[in-house]
Amino acid sequence: MAEIRLSGVSKRWGSFIGVDKFDLTIPDREFLVLLGPSGCGKTTTMRMIAGLEDPTEGEILIDGKVVNDLEPKDRDVAMVFQSYALYPNMNVYENIRFPLRVRGSDPATHKEKVMRASAMVELDDFLHRKPAELSGGQRQRVALARAIVREPNVFLMDEPLSNLDAKLRVSTRAQIKNLSHELAVTTIYVTHDQIEAMTLADRVVVMEKGVVQQVGSPTEIYDRPANTFVASFIGNPAMNLMKGEVAGGTFRAPHTEIAGLSIGDGPVTLGFRAEDAEVAGEGGQITAPIYTLELLGDATMVSVRIGGALVSAKADKSFRAEIGDMVSIRIPAQICHLFDAETGARIGD
Amino acid sequence: MASKAQRTPTGLKIAANLFVVVWLILAAFPFLWTFWGSFKVELDFFSIADWTNALTGKNTEATYGRPFTGAGYHGAWVQEEFWRAVINTFIVCFFVVLTSLTIGTLGGYALSRSGFRYTFWLLIIALIFRAMPPITLVAGYLLPFFEWNLWGILPTTIIVLVAINQPFTLWMLHSFFQNIPKELDESAKVDGCTQFQAFRHVIVPVMWPGVITTGLFSFLLAYNDFAVTSMLLSESNRTMVPEIAAFLGTTYTEGNVMFAVAAVVSATAPLFVLVMFFQRQIVSGLTAGAVKG
Ligand SMILES: Nc1ncnc2c1ncn2[C@@H]1O[C@H](COP(=O)(O)OP(=O)(O)O)[C@@H](O)[C@H]1O
Ligand SMILES: [Mg+2]
Repeated sequence: MAEIRLSGVSKRWGSFIGVDKFDLTIPDREFLVLLGPSGCGKTTTMRMIAGLEDPTEGEILIDGKVVNDLEPKDRDVAMVFQSYALYPNMNVYENIRFPLRVRGSDPATHKEKVMRASAMVELDDFLHRKPAELSGGQRQRVALARAIVREPNVFLMDEPLSNLDAKLRVSTRAQIKNLSHELAVTTIYVTHDQIEAMTLADRVVVMEKGVVQQVGSPTEIYDRPANTFVASFIGNPAMNLMKGEVAGGTFRAPHTEIAGLSIGDGPVTLGFRAEDAEVAGEGGQITAPIYTLELLGDATMVSVRIGGALVSAKADKSFRAEIGDMVSIRIPAQICHLFDAETGARIGD
Repeated sequence: MASKAQRTPTGLKIAANLFVVVWLILAAFPFLWTFWGSFKVELDFFSIADWTNALTGKNTEATYGRPFTGAGYHGAWVQEEFWRAVINTFIVCFFVVLTSLTIGTLGGYALSRSGFRYTFWLLIIALIFRAMPPITLVAGYLLPFFEWNLWGILPTTIIVLVAINQPFTLWMLHSFFQNIPKELDESAKVDGCTQFQAFRHVIVPVMWPGVITTGLFSFLLAYNDFAVTSMLLSESNRTMVPEIAAFLGTTYTEGNVMFAVAAVVSATAPLFVLVMFFQRQIVSGLTAGAVKG
């Protein structure tokens, strides 16, 4: 049972800003994902919550209590490190038991708790192995088991899947989702992978260069990105962005004319998602020669060049054309997102 | 089945083995020669007339009726009470190793985990002090030790040896600690340890081979030291190495040199035992970079 509140939390090293004025309340039992490109301050934020890094400014509260001056051990958080940080001299059983042992909980209960945790992550057969004798996926599960064994207030995970191969990542992701549902503990999960964020999160925090860009549910972030950074970071492929001018409610860029926008005149950045657009024979808002065609299996991705930018639209999987053929893409005003040409902030809703 | 690349030509194999055997004989020869000679009389081992006397023991046989004699050992251990020097050596070594390992382990750990820039300069200064010949330091110590009445006793020597030893221990342990990922401490702290508990429960067990290796090196430094012990210890408090030197210095009595030879053999034997005993830890300590997070 823990609510976490970050109030104006910043971290600076000299003049370098790692995290800038982070404000957020994470309600009890929420699964929160910190998402952003490498080096944006996700790990630093998590380490400040764990107590491994002192914030330069601001307060961190757990259940309404300021914990800035508490040691990590007194915050009742558990953390899964990116490198797993298993204790190399202890076997799997001892690794999982370690938090119970150092916290001095009743030794009679240890075995049962360790067995329960290891069963949850399907490690029962490996309890007597040393970490060096385990595969990457097994090590990762030892780290998970060690974190859940003492039922902490807060669960912190730093890119727990990033060292696994693609297939294992999908299955472990599902396992983590199931586990978090079962444990119902406040969880903060760091990743640079937007698919992980979308599949796991109750709420996502998108960060860039230490600054929070947007906080919202996966759907909100996907449907209403707060700025061009979020728009271009979320979704696969990322949102198409075109620079152009609006005059009399009509957006104009090379090969492009989109009418029916309710916005004042001036330069804007217009965005739309490839899967919202439609490839038509003619009569679309973009008419341009095909730059490239990609067969995805379930669909065909058609790209054209508008100004300097590559703009893609999803066509039916049976769509066939040659590079250089003229194509028309239908982009009705309802699917368009508008962003300030200068700041990149979202305009309207 | 050995792959082609692993298969060595027979000629090369023989040459390699031959080389090892020759090298082994060369390296072991001084020890074997001394060991053999320690059971002879001075006139044999240091024979001017015929060096083969050292092998055959002609004069030994003439004196004692057998080609071997324990006279050198008896003289050194019983007559000259060499066992006092042995005890002194072990007292000195024990406290030097204990003190320099304690300070070195804690200090090396602290330096390896500190983000401050001064750690680099501390280590550089330590290296400079380590590079100085110990004798240059001893010259400076002598006068104050005389004035304060500290000269000649074991504790003074221990402190000086620790001071000379410490930079090396600090360096060596520091580099061992740096190979241990910081996340290991951090993970332990999140799991519920204080900084010291993290050190004791997680870091030291991983570090153990490194501690053993460093301890052995500083043991050998103290055990083999001549410059400090010969200058700072009074006659009654001598450790083995200056005691052996003293035996050698009294050549006017025939036979005393053989006390030195016997004492040399006595002083070397424990080292073999020690290295044999710790060899597994030493090997893993010297490759301690292999610690995985
Ligand atoms: N101890 C430190 N000293 C100086 N800069 C640091 C330190 N730790 C992290 N940084 C910098 O802070 C930024 C954010 O780091 P981090 O939080 O690890 O990013 P990520 O989002 O990839 O987890 C990075 O640019 C990193 O170089
Ligand atoms: Mg990171």
